[in-house]
Formats: sequence, C-alpha cells, structure tokens
Amino acid sequence: MAEPQLDLSKTYDAIVVGSGAAGGMAAHVLTSHGMQVLLLEAGKKLPIEQELRSMEWPYDNAHRGYLPPESHSLTFNEYTIRNPPYGAGSEKAKHLHSYVGSSDYVKNIVVDEREHPFTGTNYAWVRARCLGGKTNIWGRLALRLSDYDFKAKSRDGFGEDWPISYGDIAPYYDKVDLHLGIMGVKENLPHLPDGIFQRPQKLNCAEVTLKQSLQKMGRVLTQYRAGVTSEGLKHNKYRSRCYGRGACERKGGCDIHAAFDSPTGLIYPAMDTGSLTLRTNAVVREVTVDPETGKASGVQFIDSQTMKDYAVHAKVVVLAASTLESARLLLLSKSRLYPKGLANSSGHVGHNFCEHLMGPGVTGRAKDLVAKPSTLDDGRPGGFYLTRFRNLSEKHPKFIRGYGFEGGSGCGMFPHGTDVHGFGASFKEEVRKNQGAYISMGAFGEVLARYENYVDIDPVVRDKWGIPALRFHYKFGDNEHRMAEDMKETSQEMFEAAGFEIVRVSSRVLTEGWSIHELGTARMGTDPKTSVLNQFQQSHDVKNLFVVDGSAFVNASCQNPTWTIMSLCWRSCDYLADEFRKGNL
Amino acid sequence: MSNNNPIDLRQDRREWLKTSAAIVGASLLPLPAITQEQPHAETASAKPVGKSSENNFPSRFFTPLQHALVEELSETIIPADDHSGGAKAAKVADFIDQLLGETYDDNQKALWREGLRLVDLMSRHYSGKPFLEARPEERVAVLKVLSDNDHMTDLPEVRFFIELKRLTVRGYYTSKIGIHDELEYKGNRILQEYVGCDDQGPANS
Repeated sequence: MAEPQLDLSKTYDAIVVGSGAAGGMAAHVLTSHGMQVLLLEAGKKLPIEQELRSMEWPYDNAHRGYLPPESHSLTFNEYTIRNPPYGAGSEKAKHLHSYVGSSDYVKNIVVDEREHPFTGTNYAWVRARCLGGKTNIWGRLALRLSDYDFKAKSRDGFGEDWPISYGDIAPYYDKVDLHLGIMGVKENLPHLPDGIFQRPQKLNCAEVTLKQSLQKMGRVLTQYRAGVTSEGLKHNKYRSRCYGRGACERKGGCDIHAAFDSPTGLIYPAMDTGSLTLRTNAVVREVTVDPETGKASGVQFIDSQTMKDYAVHAKVVVLAASTLESARLLLLSKSRLYPKGLANSSGHVGHNFCEHLMGPGVTGRAKDLVAKPSTLDDGRPGGFYLTRFRNLSEKHPKFIRGYGFEGGSGCGMFPHGTDVHGFGASFKEEVRKNQGAYISMGAFGEVLARYENYVDIDPVVRDKWGIPALRFHYKFGDNEHRMAEDMKETSQEMFEAAGFEIVRVSSRVLTEGWSIHELGTARMGTDPKTSVLNQFQQSHDVKNLFVVDGSAFVNASCQNPTWTIMSLCWRSCDYLADEFRKGNL
Repeated sequence: MSNNNPIDLRQDRREWLKTSAAIVGASLLPLPAITQEQPHAETASAKPVGKSSENNFPSRFFTPLQHALVEELSETIIPADDHSGGAKAAKVADFIDQLLGETYDDNQKALWREGLRLVDLMSRHYSGKPFLEARPEERVAVLKVLSDNDHMTDLPEVRFFIELKRLTVRGYYTSKIGIHDELEYKGNRILQEYVGCDDQGPANS
C-alpha cells in the first residue's frame, strides 16, 4: 500500500495519539466515516512476525526462548524490595524490562524501564511502545461488562454509576465481535453478557471435571472467551483464522494474527481507505490549545530517534495513549487557560485510578489423569474463565464487588511440576507422569476506583526525551485485601469439591499493576465537577478533545477491559464523526 | 548412607572441608583443575555464538574437567532411563556453559566454581573418590545430602545444588530429547481442530 506521509502544513480532521486497542479502533471508525486522520505512535513499527516467531522451538533459539544475557526483566521480588524507578540494582543489565519482558519474543515489544522512569509507589507498569502497543501480546480474554458494573453504585452505594447502561453499548459490543472475531459459548448470564461468538475451543478433561463440579454449586465455568477468530474474517485480509497451532501459553503474540492485534485488525485496513496517515516514533509531549477558542489545536511531538520537535494540527484531538499515558499528557498540557492541565477543571484527571488485583489462586492435580499418555492441550488461546459469583444476588459480609478466575489444565511445551522436591530417576518420572494432570487458576478482582488512588507529574524526574515522568500514589485498600482472602479460600474449596489433589494455594497479592488493566484516570460522568469526560468520552471542558482509552472507565469491574475499551471507543467515534459533520466540534 | 537417616549437612561439612587440605595434589583428579577459572586457551580462542544452543560449540566458561563434572552432575539430576535419554545426551552441560559464559552475573559464576569444588570434596569425603570416578549410586548419595538439606540456603553447596537443578531442568526440557522423546509433546503444529475432552466427559468418570 502507498502510505501517505506526514504533512506538517496540513490541518487533519483528527489526530489520534496511540495505536493500541483504542487508537486502532479510533483510526478505523473515523476513517470509515471519511475523516482524514493522523495516527501518532510513540514507538517503532516492528517486524512483528520476526519478533513473535510463534512456532519456534526452544532448541532453535540461541537462549532457548529466554532473554539474552544483556537483558533483565523485573521479578516480583524486585518490584517488592525496590522503589521506582527500577533501574537501580540492575546495573549489569543493559536492558531492563517489566516482568512481562521475560522472553526473547517480547523483549523488543515492551519498553526499557530506564528510558521510561516513573516515581512514587511500587507499580508493575507494563508498557509496549510499538505499533499496536500491548495488543501485540495481550492475554486475549474478551469479556463484556454488564449493568452489574455500569450501575454498581446503584447496587452497593460505592463510587459512581457510569453515564451509560448496557443497552447503550451492547450494539457496539456486537460490532466489535463481528469485526474482530471472538470465540466463546453462550451462557445467558446477566452479569457476563454473551457475544456473537465464532466456534469455541473445547475444554479438556480436568476442566470439564471442574465445570461439572461447579454446576452443583451454581457457579459457571465457560470456555475462554478469546478475542481470536476461529472461523476467519472475510473482510480482513491481514488475519488468518486460528489453526490451534503453536504454543499459545508461551508469552508472546500470534504471528498469523488469529488473535486480535490492533495493526492487522484495525490499522492496516484503515490505511487501505487512503484516509489514514501513520507516523511512528512520534512521542507526543503536549496537546496544544488555541488561546482564542480554548479548543485543542493539535499536538507537539518529539521524534524518538532524531529528538526533533514537531507541531501538527487537527480539528479534533483523540487521546488513546493508554490510561496512564493519556492522563500524563493531559496533566502535562498546562496553559494559561488550563493551569491544572487540559480537561481538568474537575481536578479528577489522574484520580479514581483502578484496575484488577491478581495473585490468589490454586494449583491442583487430577489424579485420574496421572500417567496418561501426553495430550495436546496448548494451541488454544486459553483454558477457561470462571465467572463472578460474589455480590450478585447476595451480599458478601466482608467486601463489595466481585472477581473471576482465569485458568487452564493439561500438557504444555514446558512441563508443570518441575519444582517438586528431589532429583534423579524418580524426579524425571514424576514430571513425565504428572505433566497432563495439573490444573490451576488465578483470580482477577475489582480494585475500587477511589479518588485517593492517583497519579500526578513528578517535579524532577524526566524520561529519555526530557518529558516529565508520572508519579504514583496508588495502593490496594482494605476491600481488595479482604477480597483476596476470599479468592484464596474459594479457589481451594472449588478444587477440593472437584476432587483435585491440592498442590499449592497462593494467597500472595501481586504488585499493583500486575494485571496490566489500569483504568479510570479520566472518568466519564454526567457532572463536569466530578468527571472528566461525558458519555461519549468527550472532554466536558474542551469539546474537540476525546479520550477513548481505559482512562474513561468509571470503575474497573472484574472483567478484562479490552473489549469494552474498543466498544466504547467505537460508540464515541461514531458520535464524534456525526458532530464533526454537523460542525459542532 | 541410609535413606532413613538423612545426613546433617551442617555437621558433616566441617569434616569434609577439613579433608580438603589433605588431598590437594594427591589424587587422580587434582583440585586445581576443578577450580581453574578460564577454559583452556585453544578452546577459549573461538567463541562463536551458536545459532542453535544445542550445537556442539567450544567451552566458554568451564574447563574440560569442569565440563565433564557438570555433565555427570546434570545426568544425576535427570538420568537416562528406558523411556528417553538424560541430561548428558541432551547436552545440558553445553547449555549451562553457554549461559555462564555469557552472563554478566559474577555471583552466579562464582557460585558455580565454588559449588563444583565443594561437590567434589563431598564426593571424596563420602565415597573416597572424586565425583567423576564415583559410581552412579555414590553420585546420587552425594546429591541426596544436598537435596535433603535444601532448606539450608545459607550454604554455598546448597545454593549450588538448587541452581544446578534449576538450569538442568531448563536445559533438558527445552531440548529435543526433553520435548520430543521424554515428554512426547504433541503441540506446535497445525491441526484442523483442537480435540479437547472426548464427549466433554469428566476426567473422573
């Protein structure tokens, strides 16, 4: 395709900042309405198939798939005993990555922590600066939210309701399902609405055992609802259907793009319209404002390679740089008109920061599967999802909101259970005989959106490009810790009820940020005094400014956010294009 | 040694550390060779980074004697059996040699040098022979002392054992022998449909 080049003299209809799930969706929807869009991505366009190499055998890799010696990825222990920025103590490593960057296949996708410092409370902040961002390596669990989430305040009194209800967003969930492909099984649950599913993957035997046991408890285990196309997408020439191949449990992405990623799912098709200009290596440092009108006029960006500064202009600015980076940009965009930062008359930008807590979970062994022949259990995008069961029809005495579990079972390329005691012939035999019998699951719970959990700008520390760094003021609270205790107890109970031998129960709460589901720093709402955006992710203060990523969330729910980010973004961009056409922006 | 009476490592090590002075230069496998830091000049001169880590490349970190010792130690951790080859056949020692040759972690390098020395001392103490000359059951007996006492992580020989097991496991189960012969891994190939559980029936039926 002939790619249009950036034209600095042009005023684009819209600038979109960020090329992940939200930015890709914004580019897709706005160009589909005929708007001329400039998409800015801070990172490179990587030769992604060469990075991912989804079917490479470990023994064909120079370091068996692990990081090369000059790179180091942070461990749970390092996140716990060190403080941000995390460079100190790892001086010997030339490149330092977040915990996700622990394999040879993602080391160039996640950022080098030293180039991207942040300060304040401990946080496992996973960032991917490259075309497509984190969608290149996401976990693919594609869940809908429901009115249990959108109207959570009405149910338990905490926080705020969203300015939309499920009925407003449902048609857009449908559009996303059809446009990007999703595998799953209908369950008819009010708290986890069904989608328009392509052929689901199958559960394996231990998973079926757990499902049937849970049914007796009134709890629902369903096949992993994966943002992966199992039947193919006739309208998209960049993506293949899932062939159940590869070792999907290995950290990394899908090099045939059966799993959704923003470039092949959204950006390349948008470029084919001729209306999209993509500029990579464009590190946006400020949204500029017309002092006459008070409206956004464009952005300033630094070329990440040459360090040259550029100004680009547009009639509408759409931020999709991720929950924390979009908040950072708003706070950095101070002017005489907007001394607290752009779109921040409420003082809520950076606040109400929320996410999912991870850590508690269980590993068990299905005794009947011990010493069975090896089975093919990977090549699946995931195993199962055990849906929320707390605070639906009854009220838990110790905490509000809920949690779900992601889990799986069966043989993988690298065996489970090599941490058993001992060595020698018996060790080898035990690993072999048990390799298909392990089953495990880990919880994802809602972290309440509280004003006191926030980010602001560090007065001293700057990143490699001289842009002031974010400072975190963020900690899990009492509700989260009480919920984590319950996660541990219920996970053990459920595995025991299924007849699994308990191998390990974990109550350890992982570092804040571990779920990579950060949300809520520019929340939507009807009241401009207590919210940043309206129901169409449009700034209350600056009407040609939209923030279409996870920062708009009013609460985190306990369901994974990517599908909701894209559905909300589609709805908002339809509205944006309509207003643009009417001359209202 | 009886399986029923695990050896107290902390007590025993005083004894075998004492004997170290007496045997220097006296036996079949001189200690200086085990503790020598650099590989022999002729093997160290060429250090190509193998495309495949299973390639038989020249030693980078271990001396030939240390390499032989690591081969036998890793084979004792994951031995050949009638099902598949062991760590020696999977060239785990080469994998560990490459890793240590490339690492920037000097503590890790020092631990391996010291650990190899101490394990050889232990072998001399318990069987009267260097590890390389000990019989398989004598080798198992030495590592069993470490495995039985693997909570004593303040002791370098215990930390070495944990590290030896960790890297042997990593090297073995990422090798062709480990993946294909031992575990008979079925994935990483194109298939029309994932099979799943037959008839979606329960595992315990």
